[in-house]
Amino acid sequence: MPQAEMPARVADHGNGGALDRARRRVYLPMLLPALILYVVLYVAPAIAGMLISFTTWSGLGAEATWVGFQNYVDLFRDPVFLAALGNTLALTLIVGVALFIIVSASMIVLRSTKGRAFIRSAVFVPAIISPIAIGVSVSFMFNPKGLVNGALGAVGMGALQRPWLGPDYILSIIVLGVIWSAAGFYAVLLMSAVDSIPESLFEAARLEGASLFQQFRHITLPLTRDMFSTAAVLWVIAGIKTFEIILAVTGQAGIPPIQARTLAIEQYLRVTTGESGGIPQLGSATAIGVVMTAITVILIILSRRIARRTNLEL
Amino acid sequence: MGRNRTDVAPPLLSAFEYFVSFAIKASLWLWVLFNVAMVVWIFFNSVKTPRDIFANPGLPASWQWSNYWTALATSGLGIAAVNTVVIVAISVTAIMGLSLPAAYALARLGGKSKGPIATLFASGMSVPIQALTVPLVLISAGLSRFMVEWVFGTWDPRITVVLFYVVFGLPFTVFVLVGYFRSLPAELEEAAALDGAGPFRTFRSVMLPLARSGITTMVVLNVLGLWNETVIVLLLIPNQQMQTLNVALLNFYSAMQYTSDWGGLFAGIVIVIMPMILLYFFVGRRVISGMTEGLGK
Repeated sequence: MPQAEMPARVADHGNGGALDRARRRVYLPMLLPALILYVVLYVAPAIAGMLISFTTWSGLGAEATWVGFQNYVDLFRDPVFLAALGNTLALTLIVGVALFIIVSASMIVLRSTKGRAFIRSAVFVPAIISPIAIGVSVSFMFNPKGLVNGALGAVGMGALQRPWLGPDYILSIIVLGVIWSAAGFYAVLLMSAVDSIPESLFEAARLEGASLFQQFRHITLPLTRDMFSTAAVLWVIAGIKTFEIILAVTGQAGIPPIQARTLAIEQYLRVTTGESGGIPQLGSATAIGVVMTAITVILIILSRRIARRTNLEL
Repeated sequence: MGRNRTDVAPPLLSAFEYFVSFAIKASLWLWVLFNVAMVVWIFFNSVKTPRDIFANPGLPASWQWSNYWTALATSGLGIAAVNTVVIVAISVTAIMGLSLPAAYALARLGGKSKGPIATLFASGMSVPIQALTVPLVLISAGLSRFMVEWVFGTWDPRITVVLFYVVFGLPFTVFVLVGYFRSLPAELEEAAALDGAGPFRTFRSVMLPLARSGITTMVVLNVLGLWNETVIVLLLIPNQQMQTLNVALLNFYSAMQYTSDWGGLFAGIVIVIMPMILLYFFVGRRVISGMTEGLGK
């Protein structure tokens, strides 16, 4: 610490040593309450979690046995886990691509659209609504006697009616629900970046005869790349842990079917014993958490590399 | 702006472009319409009889306001609403009480250690909560056992939930507030110091008032996040009397196969979403700018 003080004091020009010392004195008292709580209840448990993933354990009071990488080996041989892994990656990827398309399309026309402040507020609404409420509503719309099948019947397309919440279609319904509930947030995020581009650039481009798409490709896209990168990171973080909406969409049926399970759902079932008849599998559940963290980190790095430039201060 | 200049430009849009641009605009408005229709549909369903809900997608045949009463009293959403309000209020107060001084210290006071510590907080944002699920359950069980056997003889899992809400709120809140404090002018601090105010006094009487809009934004974002939180309550609170609105709604929905109180279910959805829609109605601009600017940094 003593070495650290010298250059900082020199850098804080014109303040004098006394003020600097006073500042340094309150630094720790102001910082420590938050820092200690964060380290004890966030950082330490996260590390402890990694250790638990090398054991088999069913909870406090039971014996924990060290098994090394056995939980991980078992997970990658377990068809249920692999299905959940596949579902999670598919959901994150499909929704991610859909979001990119929706957001880009709205950015192309945004500047010339009337009432865009209103559009912005209205599409943002799902971002502030509980995913449970969204899931329950979506689930109700698609239930066998619900709005969607009713509408299909009413317009004479009864042949298209499906048991939407059955195992064959449920993941698609969930994907649709997630796209609907997430798109507004990302659209608004990117719209705010577009707004900060000076209008003169677009004017010059128009004078040169650039088409709307060329303007998007050569002005909007490069100048909002940082925000695209941030949005991609945020979506990966959010997408990998998709949980509530699935619980709500499948809520009436009890335990979500394998076709609708994400890693978060699968982990939840292993912690709460919903699946294997009573015994929590804490070891393999934490292993799932570790796998999810690893995937998140890998995807964040990938999506940043794709966007080439980094901006989020991590 | 600059309309007369663009008039001399070559034809602005080709026919194809015009068509695509029109199609996108139309879809945007359809999207808006769909969102509004969803909210209206949910509201109408909340005042219908079950038969009316299934038979008729439009206006209610008769307005069943009693659905709200059954949702609140019979189906446990009333007590859940009280739990939610209390838990969210205490948690957000504590998050702000801890984050503000910490963020100020990290932005303005510290030496070399402040950079790495700020990064430590920020990196918490990319750890999914699932990495902490099991430790969370274990800590909660251990804490409750310790309190019951050694300290109070009793323990309320809602306190544990508040504790973790606070901890999980810290990374994002500290991260955004550090950026916010850094953006405030340093001259005012120096002026306060010249007038003889100590650093803590400067923080309290100069910086906090200056940061008021940032503080309000973070309060709103934390309220939104915690109001809609489900996972931690599901994991830590088994007792239905102590659960929050989202979990109560989930329970309500899974009981539907026995009760078929569909009107009550939609009343429940309205009870869960309406406070946040109202909040959004009053401070929507702040919500949007807070989310976008805080994250865009």
